[in-house]
Amino acid sequence: MENNYTTPLAKWARALEIIIPGYMFGKSYGIADEKTVDLFRAQFPAFLINLAEYLKTIFQTDNENLQRFVTNTAGAVIGFSLIAILAIVMHIVLRDRKYVDTLRFTAVTLLPIAVLNGTLSHAVKTLVENMGTQTVEALTNSAIQGPRNYIVLNFCFYMICLWMLGRRTGVVRTRRWAVICVGIAFMAIYLASGLMITAGEWQILLPKLQAALAH
Amino acid sequence: MVITKQRFININKYALIAAIIVYLAGVFTSIKALQPGIIFTFGAGFFLLLHQPYFLSRVKLAAHLWILPAIIGMFTYPILIEKEPSGQNAIQFLLVMIISLLPFLFLITGTADEEPAKKQRLKIVSARTVVQTFIFMLWATVTAFAFIKGSRGDLLFWGMFHVFTVAILPFIMGRVLCGWLCPNATMQDAFYKNLTFKRPISNLPKAIEEQSHTSAMYISGQIDKSAPYLPFTLLLCWFPMFFSETVFDLTGVMWYPVAFMYGLIGLSLFMPWRKVCTYFCWLSSYRAMCGQGSLWRLRYNKSVCKECKICKAEEACPFFIDIRNQDNEMPASCCLCFSCMEACPFKGVISFRRAPEEKARVKALGKAA
Repeated sequence: MENNYTTPLAKWARALEIIIPGYMFGKSYGIADEKTVDLFRAQFPAFLINLAEYLKTIFQTDNENLQRFVTNTAGAVIGFSLIAILAIVMHIVLRDRKYVDTLRFTAVTLLPIAVLNGTLSHAVKTLVENMGTQTVEALTNSAIQGPRNYIVLNFCFYMICLWMLGRRTGVVRTRRWAVICVGIAFMAIYLASGLMITAGEWQILLPKLQAALAH
Repeated sequence: MVITKQRFININKYALIAAIIVYLAGVFTSIKALQPGIIFTFGAGFFLLLHQPYFLSRVKLAAHLWILPAIIGMFTYPILIEKEPSGQNAIQFLLVMIISLLPFLFLITGTADEEPAKKQRLKIVSARTVVQTFIFMLWATVTAFAFIKGSRGDLLFWGMFHVFTVAILPFIMGRVLCGWLCPNATMQDAFYKNLTFKRPISNLPKAIEEQSHTSAMYISGQIDKSAPYLPFTLLLCWFPMFFSETVFDLTGVMWYPVAFMYGLIGLSLFMPWRKVCTYFCWLSSYRAMCGQGSLWRLRYNKSVCKECKICKAEEACPFFIDIRNQDNEMPASCCLCFSCMEACPFKGVISFRRAPEEKARVKALGKAA
């Protein structure tokens, strides 16, 4: 059938559809340095940051550019792994396609969360850079309130992605609701395992960061 | 003088090119001065070129738009001279006057060659040209300010541009911002739409071209679950651009976005029009990925199409998508410029909603699949 004709490069396109969102999703976990690592542990689930820090110790180099590549890749490996695990759950829910196709589906729908991770890590870096010039109230606000609103926004986009991609790839309505439930469960687990800085964490973290930056 | 289509394009185009040269010389050389009137010559020139089908039959009206830069120049000149009395300001003021008043004179003394078009412009396309022109002027201003003053106003622009157009809006409006907000797209739309000479590289290898658009991809009704979601070219361009930005830490480098943009403009001389965006701009690939589930979509109602082929790719779409091959789904590489919708002479064939006949057809196909 003409509409189902797939080109010779289709397999490459399919591979990149997994690699790029995986890279985008995970790279934020790897980019912490010794000054910001505690802040990243508070902002994201601590075990993911610890895992990325461990992976970074496997290959170290003095070349600044290469090291930047290594840190991004260390995070990306974790990103791929998380997507692969989530795809297993999605595969059970969707039931109508191969695992690799479910993996692509999961990867593409996770883009809003990948964007969320990227923006949060960038915001954290900016926060540290402005540490000396801002008041405690402003720093607390930008570390706690701003990310909270942004998480809510991207959570909504994640739901749109799940629904629309499901609809456009032929997932029947009842299963689409199940897919949405998996998405909500995933976000709940992500939040429960440590996404977002709490007020308690910030009170401990702020003096530590100020001391680290003073040296 | 009779203002033919080609003359109209040339008058505006050469005035714009002169304005760009003055802008670049003022900002990027040691002159470090910019007359605000130049920004408004961009406004007049780009608006007239983008809205060319409308103004072609209304040349007197078009002429009046060229007065605006001259007025801005006259108002701002005394302020600039008082603040910094330099010869540069006087020269730039004179250049603004020449650049804006010459096209004014040509157009006001000329007579229109064409009758007003029977088919009105779509309101959405008119809105797009206004937005495009405004955003271009904003970009030109913040970039000039950044380079002259050494501050990073341009980073704020690109920062907002990234957050809204890459991270947030594609989830609702798809790749619409490639067609509406990108300053590079404004330049390409204005300069290259009528520049139809044969480019040295008309196509990439067939295997890549085949995968550039979504005829092989998933289509509602007939779903191939293993088909790729995205065009290969959009994914391909992500790697070199994104990696170089990340690995060489180019995010905060001042020349990077400017070089990237003018690089794309230069490449358009060697490749068909906006195909370079699909091949080389990693932001467009990012948007296409994020816009997978966008809510605002274009529908091609195949069941009511009269097959007149006026919307055929090369004539209507800057991205060379043949919408008739897309069954009823908007492809990931569509930037919602609505050129195909405007080109179509029939109502309801290309629209925002599926026609009832189309709904029935898709439903039947879905059942068969």
